[in-house]
Amino acid sequence: MERKLLLANDHIEGIHTLDVYRKHNGYTSLEKAFKTMKPDDVLEEVKKSGLRGRGGAGFPTGMKWSFLAKPEGVPRYLVCNADESEPGTFKDRYLIEHLPHLLIEGMIISSYALGANISYIYVRGEYYYLITILEKAIKEAYAAGLLGKNILGSGFDHDMYVQPGAGAYICGEETALLESLEGKRGNPRIKPPFPAVAGLWGCPTVVNNVETIAAVVPIIKDGGDAYAKIGIGKSTGTKLVSASGHINKPGVYEIEMGITVEDFIYADAFCGGIRNGKKLKAVVAGGSSVPILPAELILKTAAGEPRLMSYESLSDGGFATGTMMGSGGFIVMDEDTSVVKNLFTFARFYHHESCGQCSPCREGTGWMEKILKKFISGKATMADIDLLWDIQSKIEGKTICPLGDAAAWPVASAIRHFRSEFEEYVKHPESIHDVKHYFRLNNLEIQNA
Amino acid sequence: MAKVTIDDITIEVPDGTSILQAARMIDEQHGTHIAPPTMCYYSKLETSGGYCRTCIVSVTQGSEKDPRPMPKPVASCRTNVMDGMVVKNTTSPELLEARAGVVEFLLANHPLDCPICDQAGECHLQDLSYENGKEETRYEFNRRRFDPIDIGPYVKLHMNRCILCYRCVKVCDQLTDKRVHGVINRGDHSEISTYIEKAIDNDFSGNIIDVCPVGALTDRTFRFKSRVWYTNPVDAHRGCEKCSGKVRLWMKGDEVLRVTARKDQWGEAEQFICNTCRFDKKKTSDWTIEGPTKVNHHSVIAQNHDDLRKLQVGVKKQIHQLDGVKSELGKGPLDPNNI
Ligand SMILES: Cc1cc2nc3c(=O)[nH]c(=O)nc-3n(C[C@H](O)[C@H](O)[C@H](O)COP(=O)(O)O)c2cc1C
Ligand code: SF4
Ligand code: SF4
Ligand code: FES
Repeated sequence: MERKLLLANDHIEGIHTLDVYRKHNGYTSLEKAFKTMKPDDVLEEVKKSGLRGRGGAGFPTGMKWSFLAKPEGVPRYLVCNADESEPGTFKDRYLIEHLPHLLIEGMIISSYALGANISYIYVRGEYYYLITILEKAIKEAYAAGLLGKNILGSGFDHDMYVQPGAGAYICGEETALLESLEGKRGNPRIKPPFPAVAGLWGCPTVVNNVETIAAVVPIIKDGGDAYAKIGIGKSTGTKLVSASGHINKPGVYEIEMGITVEDFIYADAFCGGIRNGKKLKAVVAGGSSVPILPAELILKTAAGEPRLMSYESLSDGGFATGTMMGSGGFIVMDEDTSVVKNLFTFARFYHHESCGQCSPCREGTGWMEKILKKFISGKATMADIDLLWDIQSKIEGKTICPLGDAAAWPVASAIRHFRSEFEEYVKHPESIHDVKHYFRLNNLEIQNA
Repeated sequence: MAKVTIDDITIEVPDGTSILQAARMIDEQHGTHIAPPTMCYYSKLETSGGYCRTCIVSVTQGSEKDPRPMPKPVASCRTNVMDGMVVKNTTSPELLEARAGVVEFLLANHPLDCPICDQAGECHLQDLSYENGKEETRYEFNRRRFDPIDIGPYVKLHMNRCILCYRCVKVCDQLTDKRVHGVINRGDHSEISTYIEKAIDNDFSGNIIDVCPVGALTDRTFRFKSRVWYTNPVDAHRGCEKCSGKVRLWMKGDEVLRVTARKDQWGEAEQFICNTCRFDKKKTSDWTIEGPTKVNHHSVIAQNHDDLRKLQVGVKKQIHQLDGVKSELGKGPLDPNNI
């Protein structure tokens, strides 16, 4: 079912301006919070809502907020993670582009709850046009007294800044983001300490995804309990899904958690089925990092139950037969898609984006890319399949940050579910007829090894 | 205090001790060899460690209060003990296999030019691969290549050999007064940057040579003078205004070939020394000689010749395998352009 809590008004002309946003009940949650609630009441509602982080890990937001250290005399910060660089994910961009004030309203309410007088929105460098949109909106909010000193007479002061990134996926990892925000090289920090204790400039900091922060607005409007009733089990509320690939209607959809995957792919309200009447081959359900699943496992769990769009159902069966909700980047592949070539593209990405701090990720990602290149140039051997498997297993769980895992999982799952396709590339290299075209398309040199 | 058990040996250590430090304490007390190898951690450099991942251990019991095992191996240099923690290092075959994987990653892009490397014989990567690695390398592609550069008159940088342990970066950050940012570029294109060249003016910059675990930063005043194992280390001191003046001289006959800091059992400098002591005092008369260095078990110099030969065989094996990929390296692994 379509259920719109965040994107209900995205189609309204001029909704990115303060006036129009307010005409459609914008900033009423903020008024409610500031006029009728104490900061802890806001936290309580967020806890009750069961909201989970939409940046990828699905960590309960209320719990994260309650971990925030509150030493006397030390500033606290809220940082919005708008670095959105996971291949297949483009929901935050959509939200900011159409509804900048929804994010800003959520930021102010969240900051109020956390006692943060300063917040930052860290925007992916390639999203430069969003920076203009956000800065305009922030200016409007200052002019209307929604930002600055003594907001709505509450005595609460708040300043908000937009900081562009410089085009690095790794700066979406929360501690690399904080380093970058401090003007340093975007290397993930070694944890602990966690940002809740020592984050930005060593001060307690909460880092949340754009969608997570925006969801605070409807939670305050209708209450945490009402929000928790939407969705299924521990997957409460709605989720923005970026749908791409071989579907009839790619785009950003807001869904109520718990609809079936089958519905999402085939219903007209969502993806509208596979393009050109082709058959579904595989889906990467949560952004490039999560395990790829073949059609039969994405539509139904190993136990034969329909798979649902929820944290629990998508991960049902663990990595053996399941996947993850991740960031909600839903990539659909039809029967003509080469899983191996797609994997090569992903591997190139992770190799390119590794920060290079820790040896397994720095060396392993490049190695995997090179081996995959052998496959698509028809030069691989059967032993390379096992080698790939071994390399990914030696990266996973042994790195500083989860980028190492994110690079390993797609490789592991592709071999797990599509091993025969790798074998096909070894046995019949001549069948890779379009390889030259593919290489040219991607500006790559053909390996002469 | 916290009680921690590592490879079946229990020790009580102050709160805030890392697993690595606890393991080293056990070794010091019991003469055992359970301390995990380290390539990036350096007790004298703040925020060092966590990068190389060679010191990983498996925590099979988190603590007395919360006995759950940790799901993934942890970096022992950056993980503190908890009371009742149980750790496996040498007693876990899976862990040793995982470590062998880390070693393979560290060697993947390493040029293995040991025969012409000044660090050979005191290289931690050699020791590491000998003790924790596999004989074969499965990496068959072009290795990363950078041109060697002189960073100042005293230090040579062979970026090809660098394992990006960040130790030299921390030295420049913590021992010099200007902020330096030592790594440029990203991922496996990362490079120790020439910003360090600026730090060479500083009196303590020579310490980057001592902290470098491999032959990436070497002493230009010692280049090709001798293999390390043909020199005799002696401890010596002089009155110095800038540092403690306590050093190690590497001598051949009466000649001082090289001056370094004194290294402890774990291969770390006991005290950092200044550039004057290191580079300018190369006469025996500059120094008061204390006597021959007491070398520890770990050092190659201390090993008898059989062991040394074994070590060289290990290195040779790796080099031998490289023959297969010679073409990709152009003129082979011993490319003179690369010296
Ligand atoms: C390599 C990497 C990239 C990430 N990129 C993003 C991102 O672009 N946006 C985001 O919100 N979270 C990203 N994350 C997750 C963040 O580290 C963090 O968990 C998240 O921002 C927390 O917000 P949430 O609790 O609201 O989900 C990334 C994590 C990793 C390891
Ligand atoms: S896992 Fe990769 S991206 Fe993360 S810290 Fe290590 S090298 Fe950097
Ligand atoms: S040059 Fe040496 S000390 Fe510096 S990062 Fe590389 S290996 Fe470490
Ligand atoms: S020594 Fe611990 S990670 Fe390098």
